[in-house]
Parts: sequence; structure tokens; C-alpha cells
Amino acid sequence: MSREYEYLLEMRNIVKVYPGVRALGDANLRIKEGEVHGLVGENGAGKSTLMKILLGAEQPDDGEVIFKGETVRFKNPADASEAGICMIPQEISLVDTTDLSENIWIGREKKFAKLGFINKKERLQKTQKLFEQMDVDLKASALAGTLSSAQKQLLMLAKCISFHASLVIMDEPTSSLSEAEVQVLYKMVRSLVDGGASVIFIGHKLEEIFEICDRITVLRDGSYVSEHEVKDVTNEMLVEKIAGRKIENLYPPKDRTFGEVVLQVKNFCGGQAFQDVSFEVRAGEILGLYGLVGAGRSEVMRAVYGADKHESGEVYIEGKQVHIQSPRHALENGMAMVTEDRLQTGIIADQTVRENASVAYLPQICNRFQFLDKKRELRDVEEITKTLQVKYSSLAQTMSSLSGGNQQKVIVAKWLLTKPKILILDEPTRGIDVGSKSEIHKLIASLAKEGMAVIVISSEMPEVMGMSDRILVMRGGRISGEFSSDEMSAEAMTKVAFGIH
Amino acid sequence: MSNEKRSKDGLITFVLNNKALLLMLIMFLVCSMISPYFMTFSNIRNVLRQISTSCVLAFGYTCIFSSANIDLSVGYYVGLLGVLSALLDTRTSLPFALIVVITVVVGIFCGMLNAAIGLVIKLPMFIVTLSMGQIYKGVCYVISNNSPVSGISESFKFLGQGYIGFIPFPVLVMAVFGLIVYILLNKTIFGRQAIASGGNKVTARLAGININKTTLLVYLISGIGCAVTALMLTGRAASAQVTAGQGMEMDAIAAVVIGGTPMKGGKAKVVGTFFGVLLIGLLSNVLNLLGIDSNYQYILKGVMILIAMTLDKVSETYFNNQLKKAVEK
Repeated sequence: MSREYEYLLEMRNIVKVYPGVRALGDANLRIKEGEVHGLVGENGAGKSTLMKILLGAEQPDDGEVIFKGETVRFKNPADASEAGICMIPQEISLVDTTDLSENIWIGREKKFAKLGFINKKERLQKTQKLFEQMDVDLKASALAGTLSSAQKQLLMLAKCISFHASLVIMDEPTSSLSEAEVQVLYKMVRSLVDGGASVIFIGHKLEEIFEICDRITVLRDGSYVSEHEVKDVTNEMLVEKIAGRKIENLYPPKDRTFGEVVLQVKNFCGGQAFQDVSFEVRAGEILGLYGLVGAGRSEVMRAVYGADKHESGEVYIEGKQVHIQSPRHALENGMAMVTEDRLQTGIIADQTVRENASVAYLPQICNRFQFLDKKRELRDVEEITKTLQVKYSSLAQTMSSLSGGNQQKVIVAKWLLTKPKILILDEPTRGIDVGSKSEIHKLIASLAKEGMAVIVISSEMPEVMGMSDRILVMRGGRISGEFSSDEMSAEAMTKVAFGIH
Repeated sequence: MSNEKRSKDGLITFVLNNKALLLMLIMFLVCSMISPYFMTFSNIRNVLRQISTSCVLAFGYTCIFSSANIDLSVGYYVGLLGVLSALLDTRTSLPFALIVVITVVVGIFCGMLNAAIGLVIKLPMFIVTLSMGQIYKGVCYVISNNSPVSGISESFKFLGQGYIGFIPFPVLVMAVFGLIVYILLNKTIFGRQAIASGGNKVTARLAGININKTTLLVYLISGIGCAVTALMLTGRAASAQVTAGQGMEMDAIAAVVIGGTPMKGGKAKVVGTFFGVLLIGLLSNVLNLLGIDSNYQYILKGVMILIAMTLDKVSETYFNNQLKKAVEK
């Protein structure tokens, strides 16, 4: 039964609550047939959650999904795919050891099966034909593990087409593509749409949204904000809708004075990951470390902190050479590090806020007989979480029930309790809502003002430029450029990061 | 939220946080209703004495689980330690106190050997202790020549059968060891660090915790527990059986988990472990009083563990829903 419908997809008043956090409060989305629709919003705005609900990976607590005029509720993504709604995730995971045809038809082997035996030849032929129709240079018999990021994208597109998808969701498809590859992607998107399908394009780079999309929906803090025709809206308007306020002074002022050199790293080498890295940081200074993913920034800092081994090189703290072979040594020498992956390496998810906050400074509150001074622990943790404005209902709450931004604050609290002279932060505001992001920036600036030497690794150009007194750019494991406050510019840094002259 | 609802929520929270305690109270009630012999001083004392060996082992095991480790060899080296101590007692003229010390030292050695092998070869402890268990079993059979060692001294028998006043010695040992483990896990830096490393090894290491040290210490404590268990077991039976201790780790695992210390670590509930052991012990006791075949005890034990685990799952879901509701307001 085909009904007349105005919108191919309508998601109305979707609500989704997870323990401790309301991911979606009142989310709406309307997609027309044959359009490329951009879905934009900060990290934490609810874009991924909304898509998960659409695909049936999660079930909404309220609201309805109407596809092709009928209310639907998919039990799982396979269901949604059968109905013609497919997603190309940001992190594409394939079965590397099998060929492309098997990856495309995974779960649908029955189509090629007779009496339980799979006709591989037929599957390969069908897949190759699909590639030819798409005008894409892929071999169906190639192994998935040999594909580049761009090729994986195309493979996933082929998979969507094999489902006769009428709606394709693309989650940050260009994050690891080169300029040329992005153009190829756009061509594919356009031909999909010409064939009658619609595309939901989730992205952070507004230039791309403007280039490829017909209409845009903005989400903020789990709710629908607005819907626009691309031709009716400007960059500034969109940024304002996304952030919810006029973008003025997002970053704290850089009015600090610097002291002595606190950390000096000389000729640090770590095999393939980084070679010959040397730099220094003064007290009160914020050193930014910029570069593309894979440039070696996290690897260097982890090795300096003692979390990973390095081959050669020297580290001097306050002029004295130190041999840091484990995080324990680093902490004893006054150096602490907020790691990149908050969930896996920053928190102990099942333990309480209190236990998470105190875990690094335990040696400082234990007496001769190895007994912990719990009263002091409580006082210290209460004080520091109050200073950092961590939002919790009780210190006995589990860490996993806090929002990303608050978790990050507790992690910073953890390191601050160890009274470090040097603090390294690796992507400190990744995946955090706008409000907490700004609070963490202010926090980092105030720590530097109090005399701490701070190193911030960031892949976000505005952030690293807004926060740092000086920026080092890394590329291919080496430091390829240094920029002082006056010399910083987006184009110059990008050129160095990409190795363009 | 009305006052009624608030106190109802508070009650449910209390129940789910202390399920081992409550299961045990229910068990007590049921048992006293089923059998008139149950609620007598001598029976309760009997039960406590029966569980004391498993309990000491389980206390040691609480340390192991809370740090996200496992040891499948404990049963075997308990047997080994029993045989060793009995042999030393009957075949040499060493003073008994020294024999106790030697047994504890060997116990520590076995535990730490497990840990050391795991840390050096970097194999999962499951595999390491599975293999080491077989080795300990073999050593035990070899040194005992496959036959039980009997004729142990009076001081030895006291360990398993003696009384201090009206309290059986093993019960005293159980209480003291439990207290020590409780203090170690809850009040010392070692305890906090071991439990943290159980919660998330990577995060703990990055926070400056020496995982090697905490792992070795955890197995050391467990080793002491095994030695004490072996001595009491042998004392009570007045002989060292070659197969003594085999299968004890299963009961220990069940008790620790029922008591609220998760296998994946991050939390330690020593008192819960005691209730878990008591629960299993009461089950055996009441079935014995009723004259029911001991084979049924295995089935019922399994059922009880499933119930405890289901309650765990239910409580997790319940708490998550509470958090959801709090956010929705």
C-alpha cells in the first residue's frame, strides 16, 4: 500500500534518555525525497543518537518515526536496511580478511545459497556489476583490508545501493578523505540523489555542508533548533544556531607572563611513531601541539609521560635530567597527563566519582602504615570538584552516570590533586558539549596563569589557536613548524600540517 | 516525590545493595522454620566451623576478584600445602610453629609464582592458573605418593578441631583473617590501588599505580589464605587427603560473587563474601538436618547462584531507571 506523503522521512518529537543524561529532548527531522539534507550540531547535540533511533539500534522513549507515510519502528539496523534506510558510519569496520563481495552481502548470504551452499561466483559477479554501474574502480575479489579510507566509503555506498536504499545516512564521511576523494564522494552523492534516493549528511565542516546539501537541520542539546534551505542561510547564521549564542570571545585572554623553562625534551625518538622531537615549555605557558591524525603528537607525549616506551632522547624537568619509565615516575616528578580516550583510559567507569578523583594522589594521603586518610580525601575531592564546577548529585555516584563534560572535569581534578608542575592534555574537549568545552578552556587558562606549564594537543584549529601561546605543528612524526602568538594563522598551520609549500 | 514513594525507593535500594545479607536472613528464617534443630547454639556453631575453611579461602579470593584476576589453581595448592604440612609434621621433628610458617611461606610462593608467570609471559591468568593448577596437583600426588598422610600431632589437630573458650579455633581464625582482609582492601593504599586496577587496568597504570606490585600482593594474600585453609582442613580431618581442596575454588567463586564482588573487579565486599559463604553453608546444613541427599545440594547451590546473579542484573536495571527518572524531571 503506497500512501501519498510530503516527506520521505519524518521524525517527530523524539525523546531519548540514558542513565544520567537526556540525549534527546525534542528532536525533529524532515527529509524530502531526492534531497541531500545536512544534519548539523555540536558534539553532544544528539545527531548520532537520533540516527541510532532511526535505524533501530536504539528505541526512543517518546516520539514517532514516519517513513514513506507510515509509522515505523525498526528493531535493529538490519531491519532498517531491508526497508531501505542505510547508514555509512564514521568508523567503517569491515571484515578485513574477506573480499568485498562478502562484505557487501554479509548477513544476506541466502540470496546466493542453494541447499545451504553459497554460490561465490554469482556473488562476485553481482558485486562487480554493481561496481561497474556505479562507475567505481574496485575489484569484487579484492580483500577488504587492502582498501583505503576513500575506497571503504565507496564500498559502503555500494552496499547501500545493493539494498536499494531510498535513504542513506552518511556520518562525517569526509573526515579522512583528501580533496580529490571528497569530490568523488560528492559525485556519488549526487548520482544517488539523481536516482531518487535521499541522503542525510552529518558533518562538522560547514563549507562542505554548504557545497553538497540542499537543506539543513540544526540540533542543539538534544532538541530541534531550526530547518533551512541552504540558499537562505549564511555561515554566521548557522554557527549562531549551532552554538546558541553569538560567537565572540570563545577563548580566554592570553595575558600571562612566563617563568623559567619547566620541561625540556631533547631528540626524542620512538621508532616509526616519532623521531628527533625537541621542545621546551615554560611555567605559565600554554604550548599547543597541532597536526593531522597520525602525526605522532599523542605518541610523543605518551612517551614523555612514561606511558609508552621510547628509544632515545632526554627529558629535563626544572633543569634536572629525569628518567621517566612509567607514569608513576612522571607523577613523582610533577608531570600529569589527561589522555585522549576518556572512556577507556581516563576513567574507571564502574567506580565512584570520589574514587576516580583520588586514584592518582593516593600516595599523598597515606601514612607510614599504609593507611589512607579518608577524611582528607573527602575534603580534597569535595573542594576540587566544587572549584571545577563538576555537576554531580553525590560523590558516591558512578562515573559512568556523569556526562562527558563532567567526566572530563573529574579527570582533570584527578590530576590537579597530584599538584603537577606540568600538565599535558590530549584533545581535552573532544566529544564534549559546548558549555563544558568553554569551562574547560577557562580552566586550562587559569591553571597556566597560576604558573603551570601546559601542553594542549588538539586537532581543532580554532581551539589550538585560541588557547595556545605558542604552537608546534607535527607531521609524520617530526616537528615541522613552530608558530608564536603573532605568527599563528590557519592557512600557514594547515600548510605545514599537510606538508604543502 | 511523595514521602511514601521516597521511602519505598530507599528500601528497594537497600535491598539491592545488600542482597547477600538479605538472602542470608531469609535463609535463616526458612531454615528455622523447616527444622527445629536449626536455631540451636551447637548447630549454628557447627555451621560456622564448617564454613570457616571455605571462608578463609573466599576472603583471599575477594582480593583476587576485586582486582580483576582469577586463580583456578587454589584448590590444588591447598591440597599440596595440606600434604606438605602433614608430611613435615609426621616425618620430621620440626617444631609445629615452624611448620606453620613454612606452609604459609610455600603458600605465598605458589600464589606469587602464579602472578609472576602471568606478569612475565603476559598470558591471561585464567590460562596460567589453569596450567599451574595441574602442576600443583602433580607435585601433591608425587610427594604424597598418592596416599593420605595421617597421624598428625595434637597441635596440628587443634587447628581444625580446637576451641578457645566456647569458640571453635577455625571460627576465630576466619574472623581474624576476614578482618585483616577487610582492613587491607578498604583502609590501605594497597587495597584502593588493587581495586582500582581491577576497575580499569590502563587507567590505573596511567594514574601511577604499579600494577605488577598490586598483582603480586593480591596473589600473596590469597596464598596466605590457602595456607591457612590447608592447615585447618588437615587439622580437622586429622589427615591430609591427596584430593583435599579440589573444587574449593568453585565454592569460593560462588560465594564472592554472591557477596557482591564482581569478577570484573572494581569493587570489594568482604562482608558480602562472608554472607555468601554462610548462605552456601546454611543450605548444606539445612539439607543435612532434613536428611536430604547431598547430591541435591549441588543443584540447589547452582540455583542459588543464578538467583543472586539475576538479582544483580535486576538491581543494575533498577538503578539505571532511577537515574533516567531523575534526569527526566
